[in-house]
Amino acid sequence: MARLSLIATLVCTVVAIPSSAQQRIEYDDYRLDNGLRVILVEDHSVPVVTIDLWYNVGSGSENRGRSGFAHLFEHMMYQGSANVAKAEMLQLVERAGGTMNATPNEDRTAYFQTLPANRLNLGLWLEADRMRSLAITQENLDNQRETVKEERRLRLDNQPYTWAIFEAPYLTYDSTSCFSYAHSVIGSMANLDAAGVEDVQAFFDLYYAPNNATLTVVGDLDPREARELVQQYFGDIPPAQDPPAPSCDWSVGTEAQEMVRPDPLANLPMVAVAYRFPAHDDVDTPALSLLELILGSGESSRLNRALVRENKSALQAQTLMMPRRLSSTLLVVAIANQGTSVDDLKQQMHDEVERIAREGVTEEELQKAKNTYRSRNVFGRQTTYQVAEQVQHFVHYHRSLDDMHTDLERYLSVTRDDILRAAGKYLARENSYTFLLVPPSSG
Amino acid sequence: MKISTCAAGLVLTLVGAVPLAAQFPTRPPPPTTLRAMQLPPFSEGSLPNGLQIVVVENRRLPLVSISLTMPAGSSYDPGGNEGLASLTSDLLLRGTTTRSADDIAAEIEYVGSTLSAGAGADFLTLSTTVLGEHVELAFELIGDVLLNATFPEDEVALTRRRTLSGLRAQEAQPGFLASKYFDAAVYGEHPYGRTATSASVGSITRDDIVAYTAERLRPGGSVLVVAGDLSLGEARDLASRFFGGWSGTTGDDRSRSVPAPKSTEIILVNRPGSAQSNILVGNLTMRPGDSDYYAAVVVNKILGGGADARLFLILREQNGWTYGAYSSQNRPQGVGRFQARTEARPEVTDSALAEILYQMDRLRTEPVPDDELQGARGFLIGSFPLSIQTPQQIASQVRTARLLGLGDDYLKTYRERLAAVDAEGILRVAGRLMRRDSAVIVVVGDGPKIYDGLAAIAPVRIIDADGNPLTIADLSAEVAEIAFDASQLVAGRDSFVVMVQGNPLGALTRSIEYSMQDGRPVFMVKSQIQIGAMGGQSAEYVLDARTLDPISYEQEASQMGQTIQARLAYAVGGRVSGSVSGAVEATIDTVFGSTVYDTDMLATLVQAMPLSDGASFTIGIFNLTQQTFSNVTIGVADGGTVTVPAGEFETWQVSASGQLSWVYWVSKNTPRRVVKMEVVGSPLSFELVATESR
Repeated sequence: MARLSLIATLVCTVVAIPSSAQQRIEYDDYRLDNGLRVILVEDHSVPVVTIDLWYNVGSGSENRGRSGFAHLFEHMMYQGSANVAKAEMLQLVERAGGTMNATPNEDRTAYFQTLPANRLNLGLWLEADRMRSLAITQENLDNQRETVKEERRLRLDNQPYTWAIFEAPYLTYDSTSCFSYAHSVIGSMANLDAAGVEDVQAFFDLYYAPNNATLTVVGDLDPREARELVQQYFGDIPPAQDPPAPSCDWSVGTEAQEMVRPDPLANLPMVAVAYRFPAHDDVDTPALSLLELILGSGESSRLNRALVRENKSALQAQTLMMPRRLSSTLLVVAIANQGTSVDDLKQQMHDEVERIAREGVTEEELQKAKNTYRSRNVFGRQTTYQVAEQVQHFVHYHRSLDDMHTDLERYLSVTRDDILRAAGKYLARENSYTFLLVPPSSG
Repeated sequence: MKISTCAAGLVLTLVGAVPLAAQFPTRPPPPTTLRAMQLPPFSEGSLPNGLQIVVVENRRLPLVSISLTMPAGSSYDPGGNEGLASLTSDLLLRGTTTRSADDIAAEIEYVGSTLSAGAGADFLTLSTTVLGEHVELAFELIGDVLLNATFPEDEVALTRRRTLSGLRAQEAQPGFLASKYFDAAVYGEHPYGRTATSASVGSITRDDIVAYTAERLRPGGSVLVVAGDLSLGEARDLASRFFGGWSGTTGDDRSRSVPAPKSTEIILVNRPGSAQSNILVGNLTMRPGDSDYYAAVVVNKILGGGADARLFLILREQNGWTYGAYSSQNRPQGVGRFQARTEARPEVTDSALAEILYQMDRLRTEPVPDDELQGARGFLIGSFPLSIQTPQQIASQVRTARLLGLGDDYLKTYRERLAAVDAEGILRVAGRLMRRDSAVIVVVGDGPKIYDGLAAIAPVRIIDADGNPLTIADLSAEVAEIAFDASQLVAGRDSFVVMVQGNPLGALTRSIEYSMQDGRPVFMVKSQIQIGAMGGQSAEYVLDARTLDPISYEQEASQMGQTIQARLAYAVGGRVSGSVSGAVEATIDTVFGSTVYDTDMLATLVQAMPLSDGASFTIGIFNLTQQTFSNVTIGVADGGTVTVPAGEFETWQVSASGQLSWVYWVSKNTPRRVVKMEVVGSPLSFELVATESR
């Protein structure tokens, strides 16, 4: 279960959707004395609740020489606590008819459960028990370190092209000015091997404290009961000192960069072009997000039409947006068709990006992107889990949770000029980092 | 309120004695009262043309989920045309009188949505979910597809080809074979017993699709389910605007006869070389409205419903016989079936099967312990609300209840009915659910290795992958060696044009050289094929020049971005060793028992076979991507005069029917030459352009 999380993170970030103007989500937003922020959303349509606990720590908080800790914890958190045996959490949740998972990324680590409404107490108790008393032992550290390595082997070392998504984007940041985003979420195996149980405990004590977490509960709940349960289970967990905030001193690139990397598992070359984008809460984000949809999302996107259907130079071509708190990344990826050289494909991709940056988009394309965005926005708020993730998104990626009520408007008011201006700034060749993943045979 | 009182009580008793943290319970808190589900009410109506409309109005989100379900699933496929319903559903969205396939996709994508069509056993369904403001477009597109689908010939050919290539890949898979023979044995002549094959799909024409649509996609008998931000009145108005001109009705003429129960028998599907045996055990169960259904759901959860169920824990965790073991029951419109399944290595196939049967018996004879029952019920009851959160999920549940005639209170009472299942009910229903004495058992595996173990469990009937009966003697019988006439092979080079649906799209060249290798005379054969952008393959093989026994085979192929390399050595007695790498990775060292060849070699070997009208041979073939052996039957007939670019030839027609069926036309004049080849059921053919002798 936890193994799939990196992929899940990616999927989550890719579809991270802001809000809708038409249905306002009402919430009860407060803090416990120990600093735990709690947000309750009532929705009685189905007797289900989602408990979504985000710790304000991701790989971006890791220090040099200690990378991989945030991800390691995603696994350590299932190793038991004072009142819950190893792997028992999964069994308790399953027997209650619930589902659960966790996902780390650069900015936060999310733990979530969806349960029948009458097991809200179980879910909160399980989260509280591991927040207060996680079993950090040498034995658990050793075997979870192995699990992480196994995950790396399975998901990264044993699959073609995954390097372009899980490692390449981080190479575009300077590790002296932005170490936060200059190393991957999956982390360094050497750093993990060098970690002692006391390092792991110190990380937990600092970051897995109530004052560094936001608990969102959405669903068929009675707010008074829910408040009482949260107080009973979490109220006496002691706070820690406030952890240092991650920093990233980045700027738009001034010189195009390129790297060739052999991919022994690939049969055909892949080209991935990364662009450094502004922080998610930047004013240009709505225009850039719509631009991303137009460029590379769906059958009728620019890239698919030009490269896959017309030129037949690519088997697939698409964009991937990775929203982050301090600087986002846009990844443009394509897999070469047989008979297309990696250089030709690269040139065609740059041509398409530069065309859109130079000429902008059509009114029809813009309208379609807005329609898509708005549909996804509503489709993305159907379940209690989706609503909880939305709330957390606004807490962690926006200046205020209230942005949730107005964000969609920002997207729907984007003009063609906004797109042209933003594209000119961020889709410049100088701001690109091109990765060429080449199969062994085509050297 | 219950919880807070309880917490307050704790504070009172413990105050002063223990630090505040003691308020934190040390055991998981017990469940509170299960809340009643407030399912949105549904309302019903109909159109004059007979279309039933069910609306689950729910204004929580500005979304509307629409599904139109028609009694046109695969069980209505005419015999011999299995796959027709599925092909029809794929093609419905590929063009109407006013919209091309691209137009349909672009219009629905423009509003940020998708339209889909699919066929199950009983029903064919068109569905979409859109924002409320686009609901009119959704109805318009569905109506257009229903009334005006044109099934363009090129789209039919494309979809059929895609389906065939998918099926061909599946047909060789043991899981597919196991299900096919299981369904056939359990359901007999009942339409649920039939499976689409490449032969049945290959025979489907555009006319069949048009006729099927005209007959089965009719409003009478169909149900439109709308869930979300729309009222019954609005739904009816839209339906009558866009589906009003649709007319006709369709009945249910499917055969309902099922085979009479027979005493338990094992059908062993011999698949030589299989590294694992696929085991299926099961029988027919009950109709969808049966009141024992709920207890049966709990039985399946306990027996094989996941990683904490008995089969998984015992077969995998305790014994390590398998990667997984599960059981399930389905709930179609007609009678359903129970099935337990696993995959096990040949040497533990009998142990795994015996254990499954034993665990079935235990549930029929021993009461289930209370905590196990509670765990299973807890999961089933608890997880149900998670499956009715979105309008789409609600529509799907309402549709199921409606189409299976489960009654209006089905969803409302589902959890209560599960909660009422007790140990006694489980014992009784387990006996009904699992007919231990009249079960169907299908095992697909390496016959000679598993036969004895299986025969000790129940009587065994053996068949080959094509369903032909085999005897125990056949399992070990050696294939009669073919008396090749090596003088028919001469050094030289033949080139062929590769035709795809009559268009030249590639080239194949094959050269034969005579030389010496390790002191013996050999033929070195090189073949090279390239088909447009689809891919290419080069192969090089060496045959003993006197006996034509294979010595080695090397291949490098790439297709649609996948590559595969193989390097194999063949030794007398049917031993094959070497490795395959790329899209498939395997180290091979296996023995068939008699000489085996690669399929590629057939194109050369057919020239040297003792050809005469009506002759037939059997030849062993090793499939390197799946690492399995099979016997291929070769039949010879007069091929008449064949005209190809290289000229006009009097021919023998040589058909090889195996996992991939080929037909070769071999010239009658000596030395013989293959002048034309076809892959049966595919648009591919090869025609001789030129020959060069050395």
